[in-house]
Amino acid sequence: MTAPFARRLHFVVGKGGVGKTTVSAALARLFARRGHRTLAVEMEAGGRLPAVLGGPPSVGTPSAIDANLSVVSIDGRAALEEYLGLVIPVRRLLSTVFSSRIYQYFVAAAPGLKELMTVGKVWYEATRREGTRPAWDVIIVDAPATGHGLHYLRMPQAARDTFGAGLVQREATRVVELLQDPATTAVHLVTLAEDMPVTETLEAHAQIAGPLHLPVGAVIVNRMHARRFAPDVIERVGRAAEAAHGDESTILAAVAARAAEESGWAAINAQHAERLRTALGQAPIVELPYLFAEEFGAAEIELLSRRLEEGAALPAARRA
Amino acid sequence: MKLRKLVERHQVVISAGSGGVGKTTVAASIAVWGALQGRRTAVLTIDPARRLATSLGLATLGHEPREIPRELFVAQGLEPRAPLSAMMLDQKGAWDALVERHAPPEARDRILGNAFYQHLSQTFAGSQEYMAIEQLCVLVESGAYDLIVVDTPPTRHALDFLEAPRRIDDFLDRSVIKWFVRPYWSAGWSALRAVNRTASFLLHRLEQATGVSALAEISDFFASMSGLFENFHVRIERAYEVLRGPGTAFVVVSSPEEQVLGDAEYLAAKMNELGMPLKGVVMNRVHPELRAGGRGDVVDPDDASEMERLLARAVGAAEAPALAANFADYQALARGEQLRTEQFRSELPRAIPFVSVPNFARDVHDLASLAAMHAHLF
Repeated sequence: MTAPFARRLHFVVGKGGVGKTTVSAALARLFARRGHRTLAVEMEAGGRLPAVLGGPPSVGTPSAIDANLSVVSIDGRAALEEYLGLVIPVRRLLSTVFSSRIYQYFVAAAPGLKELMTVGKVWYEATRREGTRPAWDVIIVDAPATGHGLHYLRMPQAARDTFGAGLVQREATRVVELLQDPATTAVHLVTLAEDMPVTETLEAHAQIAGPLHLPVGAVIVNRMHARRFAPDVIERVGRAAEAAHGDESTILAAVAARAAEESGWAAINAQHAERLRTALGQAPIVELPYLFAEEFGAAEIELLSRRLEEGAALPAARRA
Repeated sequence: MKLRKLVERHQVVISAGSGGVGKTTVAASIAVWGALQGRRTAVLTIDPARRLATSLGLATLGHEPREIPRELFVAQGLEPRAPLSAMMLDQKGAWDALVERHAPPEARDRILGNAFYQHLSQTFAGSQEYMAIEQLCVLVESGAYDLIVVDTPPTRHALDFLEAPRRIDDFLDRSVIKWFVRPYWSAGWSALRAVNRTASFLLHRLEQATGVSALAEISDFFASMSGLFENFHVRIERAYEVLRGPGTAFVVVSSPEEQVLGDAEYLAAKMNELGMPLKGVVMNRVHPELRAGGRGDVVDPDDASEMERLLARAVGAAEAPALAANFADYQALARGEQLRTEQFRSELPRAIPFVSVPNFARDVHDLASLAAMHAHLF
């Protein structure tokens, strides 16, 4: 089997607030740095992936950030119109159609058509060729936060199964085949090592591997606190704070509190990371450190991408 | 005004904000406070939110308000002076209940069994948000509660919550739906073609593209539902009355991270436009910064070498570097948060309550830990 990080199409899923976009950006930087022509995709336009990568938002058409890295945001509605442009090849009619209320209505009502077109757009970029080679070596997809982003990944299958024989069903079948191909696709789960996030990640993992039949990649555990201070050390600082006076006492008390806080989180993180390891067995798990930064910027993304590289057991880098 | 006063003066408190900021926990903590203060309280949350069920001492939350047994409070040293109930929104169940309440009996089973309805009730954008508001109206109208705390769904744009009723209303716009409920719909396109060439052309193409069955389902759905739309419209008007009413307070929950604050700012601005102004802010998961005293102190907390010397004196040279490094990390984090929070606050109306809750180094997992938050909230 192809190792998860050696595949071409990477979906990054996870709940809101776990750092999914940050991890997507770090993965994109990693592959670009290793000489792969990389496309970073944001599945719902309006997010912050382009900004995190240091590029302007670009809806529909990939825009280059540097030599090996491009970014694109998908707007489901625009993707649908693009698609209909192929089905209804009369320019003049198209604009009438798109502005008609009945069309607006259909887009809102048709089951999952917008989501299907979004995934369809990813499929298009993944299969697009420039000359004899694929347009992109690697595609990283930052999935929406709602429902772990699984809603989108489920849609091609739902469309294939519910729509009658027709164009949409044929398209959906092709998309499903690509998504389910373990040599091409990896669905990575981002989580925090805390109680509920781990529980929900295990459920999402079961969904992806089970009913969705999608190839699970790695579980990426973000924001791991690592420093552990022995309880007696924290106590000694506390006693020193009591013995001291004025500012010194305040400072020492604060030092003790921060040491206790860090140890507390490190213990919680370690416990739940262990729970994840036990439940997932052999599945690859990559841990990323909590970053204490005044501002989160390019340097932090770079650092995380190096850590991902170490954890991902990648084959030797190729040079473009 | 304090957050305490704000909660005291409103019957409905809605916690809004982006996902992952501890919105559910803050909502639960406010609800526990209401019960301790002697107000009959209900907290409505969005599924799955098992964390809330667990922290309230319930194995699961139901789709009807379920009272938290008094013994659970007492066992944790708390004395509620009024009952606290919790319920969880079941989107599918709530739609079904709405259909059952308003649909004529003969149409009911046809609607509930319709494949398009089943899809719509689970995935239509805004549907979950709308049902949360619908449930809220039911609770308000029951007259059974003095305080209702609503934990909004974790949408990417929390704004979806506020716009959901309008969106559903647009969706059920009768002037458009009439296309779908014409009797000749399923008979074929010829009649429609005579009415509007563009529409007929488009629908024909869409039919080809999607396969006929999906459109037939949609048509059948609207044919069965047509009697319900008037009722929905009335409910939606009612929903906005409750949301905009003087008894309702929106509280934005945020954390001091850059992106989250950006979302909160946007939300606050939009809420004003929609006539549902933000009335309070809870800044959750804050790291406190220790500032230099400025009276010619012996030690500057932001000077690494001074800190290390102080710690070496206090606990020995072996432990000092790690302790100092950890302290410096948390100071940097706190400085960034402080800057961003000040910027955020400067754009808010000055009179609204603003409270900060520190980042607890533990999971909030029981009634006592929810109550421990009160010291910071109220």
